[in-house]
Amino acid sequence: MNELKIGTYTFTSRLILGTGKFGNIKTMVESIRRSGTQMVTVALRRFDPEQADQDLFSALSSIEGLTLMPNTSGASTAEEAVRAARISRELSGSPFIKVEIHPNPQHLMPDPIETYEACRILASEGFLVMPYVPADPVLAKRLEDVGCAPVMPLGSAIGSGQGIATSEMIRLIIRESGIPVIVDAGLRSPSEACAAMEMGCEAVLVNSAIAAAANPPEMAEAFAGAVKAGHRAREAGIMPKSGSAVATSPLTSFLGTAS
Amino acid sequence: MITITINGEKREFDEGSTVSDVLNNMGAEKQRVAVVVNENIIYPENRSSVVLQENDDVELLVFVEGG
Repeated sequence: MNELKIGTYTFTSRLILGTGKFGNIKTMVESIRRSGTQMVTVALRRFDPEQADQDLFSALSSIEGLTLMPNTSGASTAEEAVRAARISRELSGSPFIKVEIHPNPQHLMPDPIETYEACRILASEGFLVMPYVPADPVLAKRLEDVGCAPVMPLGSAIGSGQGIATSEMIRLIIRESGIPVIVDAGLRSPSEACAAMEMGCEAVLVNSAIAAAANPPEMAEAFAGAVKAGHRAREAGIMPKSGSAVATSPLTSFLGTAS
Repeated sequence: MITITINGEKREFDEGSTVSDVLNNMGAEKQRVAVVVNENIIYPENRSSVVLQENDDVELLVFVEGG
């Protein structure tokens, strides 16, 4: 009941981590461990002989039970993203791919047209496609129709820490969606992750909020707790809002002195 | 000698060099590296048998940190 299902895979953790912006690999690995995450995203780049000792794959492989979700960051077209995905699958040995196509470095907003096309191709090739998308219910439904595993609408701009600026659109996506909805990008604090889960998101993807914290491993654990709390609250059934006061104590008169 | 392009840079290699030779030369043999030659992925089991040709375009790719 409490497992996150993506395709035929199940995860007990509903917190997915990005691996960027950590000061060093040791801090990143400790943060991943403390978060309890079972899935992290990584990027694909050219091998740099001068950084041959920075072996991210080995560092991540040392963490038991961790699934890699490579991303296609750096791609600005569907064609580039598909190419990156195919190469990444060879490296990761995992069918998961985060489709991320943002052609404008000024705002990093995902290109919905190129994203749709890349997802369509990759889903047909058997990838478990996890697209990073604008918070658009129509696009989300179209991506579900072409076989995406979840959809990952943005809360706000990547790395901005502006929180869930798109909450009403995300509520619509959740309401209409037959696949998991994962908020990706923009979260700043654990309370926002908790709110996303209470809203009905199946998971959240966090990077900057943890990596850029003063104490990343501690923040990772804080996010883990918030995600669990939000999910449990959702499962427990959050009480409806009322437009007026609803008494919690009996309103009968004190000591029976009034009518 | 033959000239091949590795990650956008032209380099000289002995004739008959294999993909494995290039990985060793670049110090990439110990890492998990994806190899793409002229847009074709070369899987690990084939790297010691694929011989590179003049003007081949080789891309060596690894995972790096990202969100």
